[in-house]
Amino acid sequence: MNDTHKFVVSSSPHIKSQDTVSNAMRDVFIALMPITLVSIYFFRFYAVLTIAVCLVTAVLTEILFKKLMHKKPQLHDWSALLTGLFVAMLFQATTPWYKAALATFIAVGIAKELAGGLGWNRFNPALFGRVALVILAPLYAYVNQWFQPLAIHLGPLDTITQATPLAMLRAGLEMPPISELFFAFPAGALAEVSPFALLLGAAYLFYRKHIGWRIPVSILATMIILTLITGENPVYHLVTGGIMIGAFFMATDWVTSPMTDKGKIIFGVAIGVLVVVFRVGFMITEGVAFAILIMNAFVPMIEKATSRPQFGKIKAVAVPMAEKK
Amino acid sequence: MEVKQFFGGIHVPHYKSFTEHKAIKEASLPEEIIIPLLQHTGAPNEPLVNVGDKVKAGQKIGATDKFVSAPVHASLSGTVTAIEPRPFITGQMIDSIVIAVDKNQDKLELANNDLDKVSKEDIINAVKEAGIVGMGGAAFPTAIKLSPPPDKKVDALIINGCECEPYLTCDHRLMLEKPAELLQGIKLLMKMLSVEEAYLCIEDNKDDAIEAVRQENDDPNIVLLRMPTKYPQGSEKHLVKAALDREIPSGGLPFDIGALIQNVGTCVAIYEAVKYNKPLIERVVAVTGQNLKDPQNLMVKIGTPLSHIIDECGGIVEEPAKVVVGGPMTGRAQETLNVPVVKGTTGVVVLPPDMALEDMEYSDCVRCCKCVEHCPMLLYPNQISIYCEAGMIEDALEWNTMDCIECGICAYVCPSKRPITQLVQRTKPLIRELLSKR
Repeated sequence: MNDTHKFVVSSSPHIKSQDTVSNAMRDVFIALMPITLVSIYFFRFYAVLTIAVCLVTAVLTEILFKKLMHKKPQLHDWSALLTGLFVAMLFQATTPWYKAALATFIAVGIAKELAGGLGWNRFNPALFGRVALVILAPLYAYVNQWFQPLAIHLGPLDTITQATPLAMLRAGLEMPPISELFFAFPAGALAEVSPFALLLGAAYLFYRKHIGWRIPVSILATMIILTLITGENPVYHLVTGGIMIGAFFMATDWVTSPMTDKGKIIFGVAIGVLVVVFRVGFMITEGVAFAILIMNAFVPMIEKATSRPQFGKIKAVAVPMAEKK
Repeated sequence: MEVKQFFGGIHVPHYKSFTEHKAIKEASLPEEIIIPLLQHTGAPNEPLVNVGDKVKAGQKIGATDKFVSAPVHASLSGTVTAIEPRPFITGQMIDSIVIAVDKNQDKLELANNDLDKVSKEDIINAVKEAGIVGMGGAAFPTAIKLSPPPDKKVDALIINGCECEPYLTCDHRLMLEKPAELLQGIKLLMKMLSVEEAYLCIEDNKDDAIEAVRQENDDPNIVLLRMPTKYPQGSEKHLVKAALDREIPSGGLPFDIGALIQNVGTCVAIYEAVKYNKPLIERVVAVTGQNLKDPQNLMVKIGTPLSHIIDECGGIVEEPAKVVVGGPMTGRAQETLNVPVVKGTTGVVVLPPDMALEDMEYSDCVRCCKCVEHCPMLLYPNQISIYCEAGMIEDALEWNTMDCIECGICAYVCPSKRPITQLVQRTKPLIRELLSKR
């Protein structure tokens, strides 16, 4: 009788959780929706254009590089789209579209695909793409000449002429009220317009257990302490610039952050220190991006120094649980 | 007494509702039984009978002089029809004695020994003669386990009633229905090992079993521990950690820290062996899963083919099914139902088509560290999987792959669906080879 049966055979475990990489990536995409909507509200078509260009470039770049390397495109894992959206978030709305596209191309093509694809990249792709354009500024100035005729002009928009709050802070100008900076203030990169919207997204990621507290808390706490010591107002530092998207979305990137618990704290503290050094000491605008990328490079070293001994090598921390019956 | 919690682990869905409230039922007579000569960890037995011989239920039909082994018995009366390799749960072919079962079975002749008068020697001999092995799945010969090297002093006996694998309910029902036998078995073990205290550990999703044993228990030295329900609570290392807060050293065994662990089913078998001289010829098997018409806890004669007990439970509802022997986290999927129930068979789980996962396509590790967060051995399964996949044996060894208990949690949680456990299983022999060359 048995010969009539056909059984499915595979190795254990025979049950698996529902978690998938694409679900997680999609959750991050969802978490970015509040800030995306706020930025579109302020910058209208400028924001829409920047975001659309980055998304399309990201997808095309992934297809191109996968084809070049004879691999199957993995668009369904949402990671290319996510990198595209992240790059868009790091630019001001008035950025020429080809600049955003170039950054996305570097992010997806070079920082991610050439590094081996999702999971193998050492540096956060979006930050890498953004910073590449800062470092390669002279080269970009040259490239800019070719593309300039292709620039799209969408007409005037009041908000975009404002100085960024971080620049105002540095110049010692009178700052807008903190509440305004926290909830919505239309200046700077797309991701800088509303720390509140970013926190909403971060809360969602935390709820879905995609990010932990260690990295963001250690970054923010370090920043607060150091800015207090240097006599700055920590609140302004927290609500301006890229610190919110950096601490909650970029530094917590699975692939490029340490896997050990202690390592996460060291990573976060070091980023906090670097951000304050860049902001207060050197007056660099992309302080957060530089800080995170620098620490990305140290991740293997941090992991090695903080890896835990396996069961049977030390006493694990015990928590009391049940009572005697 | 305070129960500690081990690091890591995970709450997996229980899926125990199919059989947890069903009383143990005697399975019907199969037409044929297949008794593998090797169904334990250790040396295989030599057959003591020939083809054509009549055998009686309880008769010893396979034994060996080798130290680490356990004899096998005919579980039913009948005629030996073949002694040949037959498919085994592991997928291998194992030399087995095949017996055509008689329609009329005589009642098993049992002794009735006075437990107060048995000596240590009587206990160990009875256990040895009865062919008892660990009934939680590992199937290590119990007589060997009860004779630790003289330099290792055992001071704590732990009885494992956790049954942390999803679906399985055989230990649960046994504790609920045979608490007196279980406690008698524990007392025999305490006597045998000269230990003062025994700890009976039961997960808190089996409170009815805890209550049943508590009502029956008259010995204050048998301490009942209500354990938090968490997989793999029933793993030896984690049970000792939770119950005694002692950590078995890497590469070590429980008696290195003075502990000895026995499964509840084994305790009942020990009682029956010492009291009645009854060999281990039957055991409780949870025959369960969404894909069975009528899931049951069956008292099954060792050697009964899976096909017989699956038919007894109404048969498979939908195909293609997956038939797993053992629990779904560590058990083995079967290609055929012609394999027999053996001493270490805790359950047979029949999964429906939508749960019958094939080896699936997987992607690269994205370092989400969910496996790191849950690994009860505090390993880095993500790194291990990368090294195992790439065949980097030295690195796999360096990342403590040999400490892996193959509980399956990493592969369960992995969002990239990486078959981490399988990669480890494949790499361990290669690491052993590497170590033997050093």
